[in-house]
Amino acid sequence: MLRFVTTRLLNMVFVLVGVSLLTFLVGHLAPGDPILILLGNNKSPELYAQIKAAYGLDRPFIEQFAKFAWRALHGDFGLSYAQQGQAVTDILARGVPVSLQIGGLALLCTLAVAVPLGTIAAVRSNTWFDNLIVSIALALYAVPNFILAPLLLSVDIALYRRGLPSLPVAGWGTPAHLVLPVLVYTLGSSAYLVRLTRNSVLEVLREDYVRTARAKGLSNRAVNARHVVRNSLIPIVTYVGPSVAFLVSGSFVIEYMFAIPGIGYLAVQSLYQRDFPVVQGITVSLAAAVVIMNLITDISYAILDPRVRYG
Amino acid sequence: MLRRIARSPKALWSLVALGVIVAAAIFGPSFWSASPTFGDFGNIMAFPSPEHPLGTDSLGRDTLARLLTGLRVTLVVALFVEVINVALGVTVGLLAAYYGGMIDQLLSRVTDLLFAFPGLLFAILIAGVFGPAVSETYGGMGRLMLTTGALALIGWPMMARYVRGMVLSLKSSQFAEAASAMGASDAYIMRNVLLRNAVGMVAVTATLDISGVIISEATLSLLGLGIQQPAASLGLMINDARSYIGTNFTQVLFPGLVIVALVLVFSFLGDGLRDVLDPKSR
Repeated sequence: MLRFVTTRLLNMVFVLVGVSLLTFLVGHLAPGDPILILLGNNKSPELYAQIKAAYGLDRPFIEQFAKFAWRALHGDFGLSYAQQGQAVTDILARGVPVSLQIGGLALLCTLAVAVPLGTIAAVRSNTWFDNLIVSIALALYAVPNFILAPLLLSVDIALYRRGLPSLPVAGWGTPAHLVLPVLVYTLGSSAYLVRLTRNSVLEVLREDYVRTARAKGLSNRAVNARHVVRNSLIPIVTYVGPSVAFLVSGSFVIEYMFAIPGIGYLAVQSLYQRDFPVVQGITVSLAAAVVIMNLITDISYAILDPRVRYG
Repeated sequence: MLRRIARSPKALWSLVALGVIVAAAIFGPSFWSASPTFGDFGNIMAFPSPEHPLGTDSLGRDTLARLLTGLRVTLVVALFVEVINVALGVTVGLLAAYYGGMIDQLLSRVTDLLFAFPGLLFAILIAGVFGPAVSETYGGMGRLMLTTGALALIGWPMMARYVRGMVLSLKSSQFAEAASAMGASDAYIMRNVLLRNAVGMVAVTATLDISGVIISEATLSLLGLGIQQPAASLGLMINDARSYIGTNFTQVLFPGLVIVALVLVFSFLGDGLRDVLDPKSR
């Protein structure tokens, strides 16, 4: 286990250096001169040189990257181009909690909806209930969130027009703003998790130890609660771990459609504005989140399932 | 092979549906001659009418015409992305599994690296950073190729990893051992033993994967980073129409239905092909 964790940690360092290099390279190769945009109408050669030096863009690539990487290790991604005078870290610090709130709530709702439904569907497989759940999950799986969101909004607007209680269509600030985006998120990811849970439970139901438990005369309820559900939860951990990192990034589409000032929205806006320091900051911190969550997932996998042993 | 597909209703019907969709994309624009870029300013955000069977968008452009050309764009991007994914994925996956060593190490490092970007992030980055300059220099066709390239870049490692796993298990099978015991060359074993046994499942995986590529392309275009106006893309049409969702929901509904239909057709076709081609399920 110790050896596994050390190799994984070394690998993690490699991946993070690689991701930073790749991201930095993309920003470096990007066509267009950000300083010219910054200068606007004030194009004097002295000012140009001064700003270029202030952002460190007059240094050779390797030196720029080394500086970027060293600073990034200290949680400093430099200054934004578009929001002048603001540190990228401060901009990130405003976006992350927003995405975390919305994503965390969505993850909790998904688990609360999908795990029980998937379990019940599997335990009563091939009944009308199972068929209903599976069909709904398939239908929702085929409807991407960028179609679901506008259609829910049209219902919401129709409610508003008739003077019925309705929800805000976009923006951020009150609990009411959370409802629609979390709903879209939950419906979308539940469609996948229900099927995952159902398959996992079905597989456990065929295991020998379940047959043994039944053979020794345990009631159906006891078998399902103690032997089936607990063991079928293991694959779900592999879903939850990485999806935490995805949720921080917010689904880009959901934050974009509902104008929620989270990380996903910020990433797209910064790309429009060609604000590369912010883009780099977001990419590198998200990659770090993904890699760390994957490691935690693998470790918890070994703890939950005693059969899993890493060399 | 064809006879086996004909016996699986799922594969057969989804193949028929796909045929209809592809025919609509190829021949549709010549039957419905309305221009996808002409703005009928007297009819903006119109509901379906005899003149515009599916209504018009916010610039009064005919939605049926835009849907048909958008469908072409979607299918072309999906096809090219998947061809690149399969070509790169099979080559790299096969070599990595067969020879191991350096190339295997390299593959797993590259996949580790690309999997660290959550979801579409890397494609968004590439398409967003290089998009405006590519549009300026090479126009709409260049942008289409950039979108394709960005999606293939994040897609192929998954396929390579899948092929690698499958080839590793085939390599340890007795028929592969027998072939090498008979003195068959590496190239022969790879081509005639490993590849021939893997090709069915690769086809299944690629078909299922197309659904994801279609959604990804629509997402990129919707975020304004993929296909650009005045060209049509299903994602672009949805983004254009969603601001008017309160007055006319049909303009989101129609491109949305086409995307849902495409996703379902490719999912069913993949499942159907699996029933036909997977040796384990036969």
